[in-house]
Amino acid sequence: MMKRWLWAGAIGLAISAMPVRAAAQNKADIDGGKLLFQGMCTECHGAGAAGGDAPPLNRPKLLHAPTDAALANIIENGIPNTAMPRVRRMTESETRQLVAYIRSLGKVADVKVPGDVRKGGDIYKSLGCATCHIVNGQGGNLGPDLTDIGFMRGPSYLRQSIVDPGAALPKGVLQVPSRGYSEYLPLRIVTKQGGEVRGIRVNEDTFTIQVRDQAGKFYSLRKADLELLEKQTGKSLMPSFSNRLMPAELTDLVAYLASLQGEP
Amino acid sequence: MKRIVRVMLLGCLAAPAPALAQVPYDRLVKAESEPQNWLMYAGTYKSQRYTQLDQINKQNVTQLKPAWVYQLRVGGVFETSPVVVDGVMYMTEPPSTVTALDVRTGRPLWSWTPKIPDDVIVIGSPPVNRGVAVLDNMVYAGSIAGHLAALDAKSGALRWDVAVDDNKIGYYLTLAPLAIDGKIIVGVSGAENGIRGFVDAYDAKTGKRVWRRHTIPASGEPGNETWGGKDSWKTGGGSTWLTGSYDPDLKLLYWQVGNPGPDWNGDYRPGDNLYTCSVLAINPDDGSLKWHFQFTPHDTHDWDANETLVLFDATVNGRARKLLAQANRNGFYYVLDRATGEFLNGTAFVKQTWADGLDAKGRPRLKPGLDPNPEGILVYPSIQGAANWHAPSYSPRTNLFYQTAVEMGTIYYKGEAVYKPGIGFTAGGGRTINGDDAWSAVRALDATTGQLKWEFKLLSAGRSSLLSTAGGLVFGGTEEGNFFALDADTGKPLWDTQLGANIRGIPVSFAVDGKQYVAIAAGFALFVYALP
Repeated sequence: MMKRWLWAGAIGLAISAMPVRAAAQNKADIDGGKLLFQGMCTECHGAGAAGGDAPPLNRPKLLHAPTDAALANIIENGIPNTAMPRVRRMTESETRQLVAYIRSLGKVADVKVPGDVRKGGDIYKSLGCATCHIVNGQGGNLGPDLTDIGFMRGPSYLRQSIVDPGAALPKGVLQVPSRGYSEYLPLRIVTKQGGEVRGIRVNEDTFTIQVRDQAGKFYSLRKADLELLEKQTGKSLMPSFSNRLMPAELTDLVAYLASLQGEP
Repeated sequence: MKRIVRVMLLGCLAAPAPALAQVPYDRLVKAESEPQNWLMYAGTYKSQRYTQLDQINKQNVTQLKPAWVYQLRVGGVFETSPVVVDGVMYMTEPPSTVTALDVRTGRPLWSWTPKIPDDVIVIGSPPVNRGVAVLDNMVYAGSIAGHLAALDAKSGALRWDVAVDDNKIGYYLTLAPLAIDGKIIVGVSGAENGIRGFVDAYDAKTGKRVWRRHTIPASGEPGNETWGGKDSWKTGGGSTWLTGSYDPDLKLLYWQVGNPGPDWNGDYRPGDNLYTCSVLAINPDDGSLKWHFQFTPHDTHDWDANETLVLFDATVNGRARKLLAQANRNGFYYVLDRATGEFLNGTAFVKQTWADGLDAKGRPRLKPGLDPNPEGILVYPSIQGAANWHAPSYSPRTNLFYQTAVEMGTIYYKGEAVYKPGIGFTAGGGRTINGDDAWSAVRALDATTGQLKWEFKLLSAGRSSLLSTAGGLVFGGTEEGNFFALDADTGKPLWDTQLGANIRGIPVSFAVDGKQYVAIAAGFALFVYALP
């Protein structure tokens, strides 16, 4: 529980620490949208749109709503085959206010992240990060794809994920396992036959678990056949790099990761 | 032509009921005497969701195989609890379609979809439908458009249709209606829209409304004094969105009432807010109130009391009692005397952090400072509740009450809301602590004391509806798609299979041609299993 709070806190910090872009919608629209949002949307999307049963909306890129028009369309028509209902009987100005409020939560300023991107890229190579991470299609597949990590996460989160990776296990990025579950959760498993498996959780249900070890080998196990299923919550297969980087190098590496904004 | 011949044949092979009264009221009263059928939402008027069929049992359940699968033509959240009458299954598809299936093959016999306006308002739940009622030669179903329809059971043709109330101000129907003697009883959804809830009775033959029992007393009526603030009772919620139970001997209808509105900011409505978060015992002749019991006075966490009410009889403290039990969304399991409404027992069945137990009359002793606030406050159980619409089961064979208990917390927030017809009126919300930090368990409680006998943990904080059987089994389904059977006496898992999507359906059992089946909806399909 504590770790989760740390993680959630880190995201909150990453977002709140950045000033809202000056060209934001006018404040009256945002305030009006906030009131509407509290009345209609927080039940599923959580207060401040931080996520609940439905996905968080306090991020710059929304899966179903790349544009304001698309967001307004979703508010008015819902998303078919999901729990997102139509919110009809809203005036155009109310829809505009809701869009303004939701966008205000995800606006991140184009402020320059401190550090040297080029040097950070060299550090990324020298540390062997590409052994486990993919950027633009190149690299190993044990850890998360970092191609657009600078778009998805703020610098504070990126810094924490290098210094204390176990406290920053991602959630809600992959489609599997389902939303809310820690991704890349390390496991230690001992079967009733005495075999031991260490790896990351790929997926799980009440009766079975799917695991990938560091060599990439896949295991499908029934829980009834296991002697031990240890979920190493708060840990990560990624080592902490806090003792291997000088402060300036850490800043450069964060700057490099923050520069990864997805393929053009 | 072929189809007509087959349907007629089926009728000949089936029950010896008169052609024009396929399911008279008398059959509903005695539903326990024909376990091959599943005649209403929760099996019988007692809502025990127990089948006396025992062909599938502890010894052979591992041999279960799919008999047939019915796929939805349009996707949606599929929470149906099918009704089965003499070889025909009547089930509902989201949002409000009624389909009759041949239970031997799964082939559709007819399907009916009501008109749903493009601007239909469904706030507070997904657009679902949980099933139908049958009476005589008709099938009854509600719709998200706020209507109740009566269909010809043989053809699906519309006999009558009434607007229960105005969807433009947020009323809609998701529940299976309840058929009693000559009347169809329904409740409404919409407490997140500032509606004023009610239970309605309609003449089964004509659709004419016989009575309406408001769940929130009007100005001047007893109980209205529990609604402080200006006219707060007019938008006070109190929806009635899940099917009630009935005791034909006591002639009392039991109906559950939902949360007050706005949900998470009680400042708009000081007082106990009767009869929200309560059970009402209603005279089915005129809708008058015999007694009420309020589980959560002045609720501010959306812990509505719409969970299924299970009726059973047992000896309590040396005295034979007619009982009513509910595993409430607020985390407590309650046992009441259903003749009088007297509170007999209340025990927490999940982690709960809001009350220091219940007093002698069943009123919660509140811990201070746990109302939602603008900064957010962590409280257990979650905003979705320790229990919810997912169906419990009671087995007279074990005297155990089976309930999927959700172990999850929520950070509750208080916000502001201005009432506007047809717009959400909730004033806050919450963020659930889900994923690896939440889970559910199928729990077997001693039905009279609420004492835990066993539990079986589920990975996710899902809502598994349950069915207990004379074969000594409890069937359920997980959020991750596992359809499973547990030993009803010990909770030991005996069988499971993966259906490929979250299971929101409610399991039922029936038999045809001497063969027992178990049906459950998962994802966008209805799965039916039987022994080879």
